[in-house]
Amino acid sequence: MMQGNIWVSPSSRGLVQSMTLVVKFELNLSGGVDFIEPGPPSNSQLRGLRVILADDDGVNRLVTRKLLEKLGCHVSAVSSGFECLSALGTAGSSFQIILLDIHMPEMDGFEVAMRVRKFQSRSCPLIVALTASADEDVWQKCLQVGMNGLIRKPVLLEGMAAELQRVLQANIGM
Amino acid sequence: MDVNQLQRGWYKYLTTLFKEGILDDQYKQLQQLQDESTPNFVLEVVSLFFDDSQKIIYELERALSQPLVDYKVIDAYVHQLKGSSSSVGAYKVKEVCVKFRESCENQNKEGCTIAMQNLKHEFSRVKHNLQYLFELEQQILSAGGSIPTIML
Repeated sequence: MMQGNIWVSPSSRGLVQSMTLVVKFELNLSGGVDFIEPGPPSNSQLRGLRVILADDDGVNRLVTRKLLEKLGCHVSAVSSGFECLSALGTAGSSFQIILLDIHMPEMDGFEVAMRVRKFQSRSCPLIVALTASADEDVWQKCLQVGMNGLIRKPVLLEGMAAELQRVLQANIGM
Repeated sequence: MDVNQLQRGWYKYLTTLFKEGILDDQYKQLQQLQDESTPNFVLEVVSLFFDDSQKIIYELERALSQPLVDYKVIDAYVHQLKGSSSSVGAYKVKEVCVKFRESCENQNKEGCTIAMQNLKHEFSRVKHNLQYLFELEQQILSAGGSIPTIML
């Protein structure tokens, strides 16, 4: 791959006298694409966290799921509010975090959160909203229905890690 | 062509896509999410994006051709497309969606028609570009090389 070569020059008596190693090094290719540092930040708190993700869009679901897995979470992904509620019903309280897309057809994230909070305390499981909306009052509405956090789309690894950690910290011991 | 040359070609092409604003940082994130456990992650996500978008574009054209246009239906489709295009980093498609929603809000049929044309154009462009990029990646892999994500 580096187009290198290596050879040994023996002396007349057959002993190795010198060894030559040629390696072609690549100069830094002209800029433009600067990739984000690979590897997730250290998120020991998020390792093993059981998360259920509800998003009606397949592409977003795939990407968000992968982001959560990169952070070390165990993820169940569903595509509607109904599916989310039924998964919560059968799996009981085994999820620590519910990640809800607000904008879903039929039953949106706010409604799912309200239904969950009818039966469960404000911090178990923790509910975090996902939204593409830039509206300021979205957060107010999230709080009203008993959500604990908010992540703006498009979701970035660092942003998601930071908000999940904030939510967990804020609810320690509750 | 040797692997090195192929990698250079791939890199140059990808850089152009970023420079022209066809792709943005979200696409870089996708590439970084790809790992040993999901070696085809980018291809999987992008293929799903192509299929879903194609369906949405078809539905949008149908909705726009109705004698009485239901802007709520159109807005819901465009909203979805805006979300998925922004997730894969298809920047220009996302931008068109933003304009499209503005026209929708104003119930501006002409604006929607123009946005529809732009959407089709941008979508087929990014699709073509990414398919070519994947072809280059295939060539690198079959020549025994790897996609130099980390190196970049």
